[in-house]
Amino acid sequence: MVKSILKLSKYVLLSLVLFIMIFPLAWMFRVSLMKMGSSISIENLLASGITFEAYAQLFAGTNTLMYFFNSAFVGITVTIGNILFCFMVAYALARYKNLTNKLLFASVVIVLMIPAHILIVPLYLFTLKVGIYDTYWSLILPWMVQPIGIFLVKQYIENIPPSMEEAARIDGAGEFRILFQVVMPMCKPALAVLAIQVFFTNWNSFLFPYILTNSDSLKTLPVGLAHLQGFQAIDWQQLMAGSAVAVLPVLILFLIMQKQIVSGITAGAIKQ
Amino acid sequence: MNRSLAKSFGFTLPWSLTFLFIWLFPLGYAFVMGLTDFNLLRPDETNWVGFENYRALFSDEDFIKSLKNTFIFVIGTIPITTVIALALALFVNRTFKGRALFRSACFLPSITSMVVIALIFTNLYQRGGYIAGLCSLIGLTPPLHGFLFDRATALYSIMAMDVWMSVGYYMLIFLAGLKSIPDELYEAADVNGAGFFRKLFSITLPLLKPVALFILVINTIKSFQVFVEIFVMTQGKFDTSTMVYFIYEIGLTTTLQSGYASAAAYILFGIITLFSLVQFALLRRRQPLW
Amino acid sequence: MAAKEYEMLIFYESKLVDMRRRSSRFLAVICSFLILTSGTIAASTTIEFWQFWTDSKIKPVMQNIVTDFEKQNPEIKVNLTDLTWSNGHEKIVIAFASKNAPDIIELGSDWLAQFADAGQLSDLTEETQDYKNDFHGWGMATYDSKVYGWPWILGTRVMFFNRDLLNKAGYDSSFIPIKLTEFLKAAYKVDSLGSDINGWGSNTAEKHRLYKKFLPFLWSYGGQLFSDDGRFSLVASDYMVNALKFYKEIHDSCGFVSNQRGIEDRFLEGKIGFILSGDWLLKRIELGKLKINFSTTLMPGLRLPGKSFLGGEILVIPKSSTVKEAALKFIRFLTSADNQLKFCKANLSATPSNKSARKDEYFESNEHLQVFSRQILHSRHSPVDPNWVVIESIIENVIEEVLFGDSELIAEPLLKAKYKIEALNKK
Repeated sequence: MVKSILKLSKYVLLSLVLFIMIFPLAWMFRVSLMKMGSSISIENLLASGITFEAYAQLFAGTNTLMYFFNSAFVGITVTIGNILFCFMVAYALARYKNLTNKLLFASVVIVLMIPAHILIVPLYLFTLKVGIYDTYWSLILPWMVQPIGIFLVKQYIENIPPSMEEAARIDGAGEFRILFQVVMPMCKPALAVLAIQVFFTNWNSFLFPYILTNSDSLKTLPVGLAHLQGFQAIDWQQLMAGSAVAVLPVLILFLIMQKQIVSGITAGAIKQ
Repeated sequence: MNRSLAKSFGFTLPWSLTFLFIWLFPLGYAFVMGLTDFNLLRPDETNWVGFENYRALFSDEDFIKSLKNTFIFVIGTIPITTVIALALALFVNRTFKGRALFRSACFLPSITSMVVIALIFTNLYQRGGYIAGLCSLIGLTPPLHGFLFDRATALYSIMAMDVWMSVGYYMLIFLAGLKSIPDELYEAADVNGAGFFRKLFSITLPLLKPVALFILVINTIKSFQVFVEIFVMTQGKFDTSTMVYFIYEIGLTTTLQSGYASAAAYILFGIITLFSLVQFALLRRRQPLW
Repeated sequence: MAAKEYEMLIFYESKLVDMRRRSSRFLAVICSFLILTSGTIAASTTIEFWQFWTDSKIKPVMQNIVTDFEKQNPEIKVNLTDLTWSNGHEKIVIAFASKNAPDIIELGSDWLAQFADAGQLSDLTEETQDYKNDFHGWGMATYDSKVYGWPWILGTRVMFFNRDLLNKAGYDSSFIPIKLTEFLKAAYKVDSLGSDINGWGSNTAEKHRLYKKFLPFLWSYGGQLFSDDGRFSLVASDYMVNALKFYKEIHDSCGFVSNQRGIEDRFLEGKIGFILSGDWLLKRIELGKLKINFSTTLMPGLRLPGKSFLGGEILVIPKSSTVKEAALKFIRFLTSADNQLKFCKANLSATPSNKSARKDEYFESNEHLQVFSRQILHSRHSPVDPNWVVIESIIENVIEEVLFGDSELIAEPLLKAKYKIEALNKK
């Protein structure tokens, strides 16, 4: 008897937490499917029907599709860049042990600890000076090689015995071939983790895209959404439709690649 | 040997350049700029002022306020987030029906864009909104004009949202830590007849210490930089301005005193470094913390 | 009364403009003749113009005006670049910081002093001399007794009130609040109609908005922020204390507190008695064909109607521009009576800067536009001060503290704000 009460209360608590965690995002999807301009009361939430009016209006009346494209373009470019460059750098740091590399690895660890937001003013002036302010370059270049990626991949490569590479080298393979045809395939799990982490961070990032660009045609989704919020004519249904557009890709990716995502999150922690 | 050095140099070049131009140079530039009265609108009239900016900052009421709010934010959210995340992890670590769903649901907010979360909660927190309704339902009086338009609740509401958003993430890290504790320890404890709490305090928590400290370090670095939620929800009004918000506002929007803002950024940098170092020192300590 | 004299003044001024226009046209003909005969064709110049009118209704009108101009001046080309209010200021700052400023910028009136003081704007004192009487709003464009810009479309705020609610509160349909006390009383009565009905839409501590709502009350109480010579801060004056006391009372007892958008939404739902708003609300009601029984009236005052807030768009020429003459030509064209009228009709704007445009019957075509046309004569702009962004935030902070803080004090926080502003000016 006591046991079943305990079990019941456990499930009540569980459902409660589940509800709290799910409600806001579920609410966002629900509101985005409501008739525009209708009130967002609880009764309305349950009773009103489903319409894609807000999405249609949003795509027709604002540049949300363009923001989406920008986010996707920048996100994918940065992700590919990180896979390539982090891998290259990590390989060198793992395999060539010399003083410069030791220093470089130290710089990776130090940068991991630097709060990036303190750089808003100098980075802004820097992009202005070199003329990449308000271009795709300013959204992409600073994030092409991220220390967290180097860190993860380096740890991974160090755990792979170098025998395969040595065999390939004896066969006379060039260094780039060894790198991309021999070592890279072996690092797939680490690179997948890296790709997901970089893509998510980039997809959601706000401050730097906001500060380093200005044109509407370069806004990423988070920046575009914050911008839309300031418009008088935008109502909550449209704002939530825009938010849903920003969340959906992440949600889909999450559902497909849950395992990699979870191991990506935990990889850094366990290494400590 | 020389060839391999050249190769290694070539392979690491992307990082060397990034480190130099994106990190080291701006950091140095910011430090130098922090010693001048550089103003975005008058780049040609810059004067050397030494540490005057730093002195002025500590008598700047707005800066002190942002410092205070940042500390409230950090000190208020981190322990709560950590404790809830740990509790959730302990909970999810057992097998039960719907465990995967539960874990995913907790985690989902942390991979959602902060702008989106902030927009959602701006609505939920508003006057006559859902959270106000919930408050009245359980007999509390919600703030008259909404949670974000009230000095007594605005910052705490944002903090609560932040805890909600990030617990899932830290839960996952704790889970990984729990997984790495060998089962034999628990089995041995069971043989000795140890209860749940006994096991918790003598096995689980001590062994989770490194993970907990890791969480503290990354959460500290992250929380000191709180910006987006303030930007979207209150624009620093109602006593919610934080240090990064202050830097952004002074440096890039209102008075455009970039030198002054850079000095503020360095103070933030110093504080975060100090906190991280203290936490690292704790991490190094061999004896259990609790 | 004064309105009559004002009308007379306008009449004479418009005559003057006509004469001047005729003579300038004559000059233009001669000039072009000279150019043609001398065989030199003026090299084509391009004007970069940054402007804020981006919505689908007004953009084509803007484009049309540009096309007309280019037709009349084939040697000049105008490039439009759109700014938005959310990022415009930043973009302009960057343009100056990186020495990439365009030839003409539409500036919000609050920004002018900051840029002028930094030496980034062309002094237009001489060029605008002859137009002083034809336009309204020079005050906003004048810093340190030099003119740095050309007023274009102006904006003011008037009192909107819900007729149905006032009828329910026992006022007949001819009621118009003229005095602040009448307004307060009516707001109280409306507020007591129901728990979901409020007397007054009160802005929350919203950046760049709160002060625009409060200043009309200060001015209507007879106060001002600075002494006439601009040397002394009057932020802690009795006027200020009384105005803030009044503002706090109506905020505390009748206020629906939200941001501007929230207040306007609520007003349009028919749940608020009075709000202070601009012509964009008229546009919203008209375009959305919203059914709301509302009236507009002048900002109430102590005995007579009070003073409202005047803001607007100012056209400036950055100092770096190399085509100042062509830019001026375009500005004159853009701000001409015809073009401002075209513009206002398309955008449902109520307050052009050109005085002869304002005389058009369009602005008398309905009672609301009439109210705006009157209010613009009884409105003031914020001080043209390079430190205004800081002063503004000091003032908004002290209002926030009084309205939303824990203590009931009013004079003390104001005194503190005064010291802060004075310290600022000493720097």
